[in-house]
Amino acid sequence: MSRSVERSERRLLALEREASLRARLIARDERALVELVDVATPWLLAAVEGVVGRSADAEEIVLDTFRVAWTKIGTLPPDADQRILPWLFRIARNRAIDRLRARRRYRDRLERVATLEPDRAVQQAVEPDEAAQPGWHVHRQVHDALARLPDEQRTAVRLAYFHGLTHSEIAKRLDVPLGTVKTRLRLAFDKLRTALAPLKDWLT
Amino acid sequence: MSSHDWFVEHRAAYFAGALDPEERRSFDDHLTRCDECRAELAALERELGWLPMGMEPVKPRPGFRWQIVRTVLGGARPSPWRTWAPIGVAAAALLTAGLVASAGSSERAWLERSLDDANVRLTALTDSLTVMRRAARVLQASIEMDGVQGGFLVFADSVTHRWNVVLHGMPEPEPGMTYRLWYVCSDGMVRGRDLTPVAGQPVIVTVGMPDRGGDVLGAALSVEPRSNQSDEPQGKELAHLML
Repeated sequence: MSRSVERSERRLLALEREASLRARLIARDERALVELVDVATPWLLAAVEGVVGRSADAEEIVLDTFRVAWTKIGTLPPDADQRILPWLFRIARNRAIDRLRARRRYRDRLERVATLEPDRAVQQAVEPDEAAQPGWHVHRQVHDALARLPDEQRTAVRLAYFHGLTHSEIAKRLDVPLGTVKTRLRLAFDKLRTALAPLKDWLT
Repeated sequence: MSSHDWFVEHRAAYFAGALDPEERRSFDDHLTRCDECRAELAALERELGWLPMGMEPVKPRPGFRWQIVRTVLGGARPSPWRTWAPIGVAAAALLTAGLVASAGSSERAWLERSLDDANVRLTALTDSLTVMRRAARVLQASIEMDGVQGGFLVFADSVTHRWNVVLHGMPEPEPGMTYRLWYVCSDGMVRGRDLTPVAGQPVIVTVGMPDRGGDVLGAALSVEPRSNQSDEPQGKELAHLML
């Protein structure tokens, strides 16, 4: 068996075991923590760096997120609506946005996001498949849904959701009325809800 | 528009975190009283919970995943110095080695990589400290860039003819640009290493002397287009230090 096939099968086996991940985390199984960290860290870093930039802050927020997850996993309601990875994303994003807004250099960020950074949320990343990066199939579906949005709606989502700007700041940045930004966000999220509804649990 | 209509209209912005602080406080307050908005927000969270995965994943730096596990299980606060502290590195290596013996095959490869990373960092750190200890000359310049105060230091080891170069407190350069070390030589400038700050950490590199340009007389630092691979600086000079 080639090494890549072996690696692929090992990843698939790991994914099959994810259904029991929550129970094992609650039972303080340290290997479950290792597995969660292994799978979730690249996605959490991406979400947090989108807001606070590539910095020591980003790593600290991700680390804090896992600390909260390890401490409070038992408080997560045991129903299908409360899934681990979206829960981690919520914790991480809230902390990242709080951190961003606590910084005095918010204006710098505003300029940097809109003028310099590539649209990482809709770029086709080069990492090839599920075997190399668990969760890749979810990324592909979200990426496709974002790519189907009209440019102006995708830009509003990118600046608000992925980079943490308020709608007033987006309006100023794009030089459009505030109401236009609100409408673009509302229309975009309506479309995304429809597009992403078929996504089933990946890491429950 | 009724009061409730305003909250309906702003649900998406609230979900995205795009409300201004005062608006967000109002919305938070409203949620404590409104079952409909609470249910709709919960539906948004449920249906768009995977949205952050639209971002391209970021490969963690070597050892970061292990740092997370170690910190979470140890209950300690993270410290940027922990990565560099020899004791921390050695402890991580020992702990990793112990876990390698007992972990399953999937974790083993990762733990072995972490052990390798720790050993590489430990060796690099030891080497860096050796150069610093032997340094006959220490050159230093303060640099201000974009309103940020940083520093550029060169520890010149007269025994092995190597330098430890430290760049600290500097913002990340703009895309397509890099901080670059230059050797100031008797025959002109010679291009040195690119110095790339990562995650706000200082850059510490050990470099040898160039094989061209004559005698080395000093060091310079510029912020330079990456595309410039010549021995002629094109960017802004930030520091110029003579031995």
